[in-house]
Amino acid sequence: MTGSQNEFADASAGHPNLQRLWKPITEWTIWMVLGIVIYSLTGAFDQEIAEYAFGAAGWPRALCIAVFIGATGQLGYQVLGMSRGGDAPAADDAGAAVQQPARLSGWRVAQRLGIFVFPLIYLYVTPSIGFYVSTPVFILGVLLLLEVRSPVALATVTCVVYGLLLVVFTRFFYVALPVGQAPPFYDINNAIIVFARTGL
Amino acid sequence: MDLFLDGTLMLFGDPKAILIFGLGLIGGMLFGAIPGVNMLTLGAVVLPFTITMEPSHAVMLFSVIYCAGVFGGAITAILFNIPGAPENAPTCFDGYPMTMKGQSGKAIGAAISCSALGGVASAILMMTATGVVATWAVRAFGPQEIFSLIFFGLAVSASIGAKNLWKGWLSVFAGLIIATIGTDPVGGIPRFNEGSFFGLEFHSYYLSAGIHFIPMILGFFAVAEVITQAVNISEGTRERPKAGLEFPSFAEFWRVRITMIRSVLIGFFSGILPGIGATLAAFLGYSQAQRWSKNRANFGKGELEGVVASETSNNAATGAAMIPLLALGLPGGALTAMIMGIFQIHGMEPGPLIFINSSDLVWITFAAMFWANLLIVFLGWLQTKTVVHILRVPFRWLAPGILLLATVGAFALRNLLIDVWVMFLAGIVGYLLRRTGYSAAGIVLGLILGKLGESAFSKSMQLMDYDFLGFLSRPISAALLVLGVAAIVTSIVSEVRGKDMQRALID
Repeated sequence: MTGSQNEFADASAGHPNLQRLWKPITEWTIWMVLGIVIYSLTGAFDQEIAEYAFGAAGWPRALCIAVFIGATGQLGYQVLGMSRGGDAPAADDAGAAVQQPARLSGWRVAQRLGIFVFPLIYLYVTPSIGFYVSTPVFILGVLLLLEVRSPVALATVTCVVYGLLLVVFTRFFYVALPVGQAPPFYDINNAIIVFARTGL
Repeated sequence: MDLFLDGTLMLFGDPKAILIFGLGLIGGMLFGAIPGVNMLTLGAVVLPFTITMEPSHAVMLFSVIYCAGVFGGAITAILFNIPGAPENAPTCFDGYPMTMKGQSGKAIGAAISCSALGGVASAILMMTATGVVATWAVRAFGPQEIFSLIFFGLAVSASIGAKNLWKGWLSVFAGLIIATIGTDPVGGIPRFNEGSFFGLEFHSYYLSAGIHFIPMILGFFAVAEVITQAVNISEGTRERPKAGLEFPSFAEFWRVRITMIRSVLIGFFSGILPGIGATLAAFLGYSQAQRWSKNRANFGKGELEGVVASETSNNAATGAAMIPLLALGLPGGALTAMIMGIFQIHGMEPGPLIFINSSDLVWITFAAMFWANLLIVFLGWLQTKTVVHILRVPFRWLAPGILLLATVGAFALRNLLIDVWVMFLAGIVGYLLRRTGYSAAGIVLGLILGKLGESAFSKSMQLMDYDFLGFLSRPISAALLVLGVAAIVTSIVSEVRGKDMQRALID
């Protein structure tokens, strides 16, 4: 057994490297699961094409196999890095990135969650209440999530961004943004559009 | 030369032409520089108005928008890490780190000068060799060569922006797989639009049309960047970029002269090939600059040469993209397809005869592209002195505007809110991939080249009667394939041996 193999044997026997090994394995598992799911979905369109022997599913399947090879290659590369006793750069980066500095306060957790979820909520409500009603609330929400607390800044930035959007996209480019489906919001959105096109 | 002077006189002797030229130049730069909209948005808005224009003015306007728009996207790439268009993605790798180091002026200055240089060189090559180059490109580049070129481009560019070669390749594969959603290029059979997932049946008309790359780019770059900065703000780790107004010195440009020449050639020859154009040009230019640079270790950390390579290459592709359009009637991208539309609106047909029948139109277009690229230096210098000050505005004030511009940009593409969902989901995925060392640029590269690559592969297979060795029977195809394979093998071997990791990634 070579020196490096010994080190790897140590690693698998409870060395701190073992703790780091779960990250590359998790990454590998995610890629493999994704690849398998996509490969299985190709069955729905695995039809022969008269003039093309590989059919519609040939190319996506080849790519899935490439993903399996790539993911396994990456796992091997990271394990090899650890077996040499050095750092596995990719694993370390991934680890450093997802490492949390300390226990987060309730506000911080809500803030992090808000950063990811708030735009999705905005998108969910926009078809119902319309772009022109939901957007000022969205601007204010994003500013609050980004820790803007000055009332003047909140009001000014909201007015400037909203005003510019109205002028550029509604007045000049006539972009047909969603006006909502719920009765009061539909009317409010249309009133804002009329104002933007004739009143500004 | 006389024809060029005639074109210039036609351009600057007519106040209406000057006005259209100026509006196209400023509009292209502005639309290129605003995240969420791009030169295609401007082109789509302006296209209906070209019906009432003279054909020469309309074609000239779009060619100027093209030159200015490709440059404009570099500004946001450098200042905010958000490329205005896919061809500006490699500019982010060194442009944004330069901004973080307080060298934003230098980065933008390099982008301006090199965009102008690449564009002017390309315009000169276009004027002198359109006929010859177009004929050569069409004869020499069949589906086999196009597939081999895409393979080579991916082989040398895959690791760009990723932490290691494997992550780079996995990013590209992810992009290639996303590109397969929609219909297959041979039989038109819908793919991934219906199926069963853990017993749940799904059917989607949206997926039948495929996932458009614009929402993906906006998500991976604009939304992911805002999320990254927002998380940094919440962690208290965000560094505020410093505004710098310093322009690069002549000595700095002289040091990278070889990179400039190489990038012009890469950009020009990539630009000629329909569909490949500026995006692959920028990635190839960047990867080759990194490959041959003495400062390769500094790439990705704010190396001026990286910005130079990417911006020279992508603008060098603009003039070249006009060659197949004018000489053969083959549009290579969305904007050149719009120019093709202008020809059709006015009952004209581009092709070899256009040089005889509509010489005025051809030469006013050539002259306009030449002068537009030169004027980019002046306007870009003004932009350096003004736009850089945006960095003084706190990012938290700019973030809602960036998100909303991206939202409207994604929505306006097809008037579909689901495109905006795709954009935000791509943003979240892009953030996670970025934090784990994968490359958003690699995914976008795969997404853009995927359809073209598959189409070229299937045509090649049909032409070669499914004999894979047929790729090696054509010299250009064989050379590109061998170089691509060599690039992959040497990098894997170097990595396995644990040699200089940086070198392995590049080689």
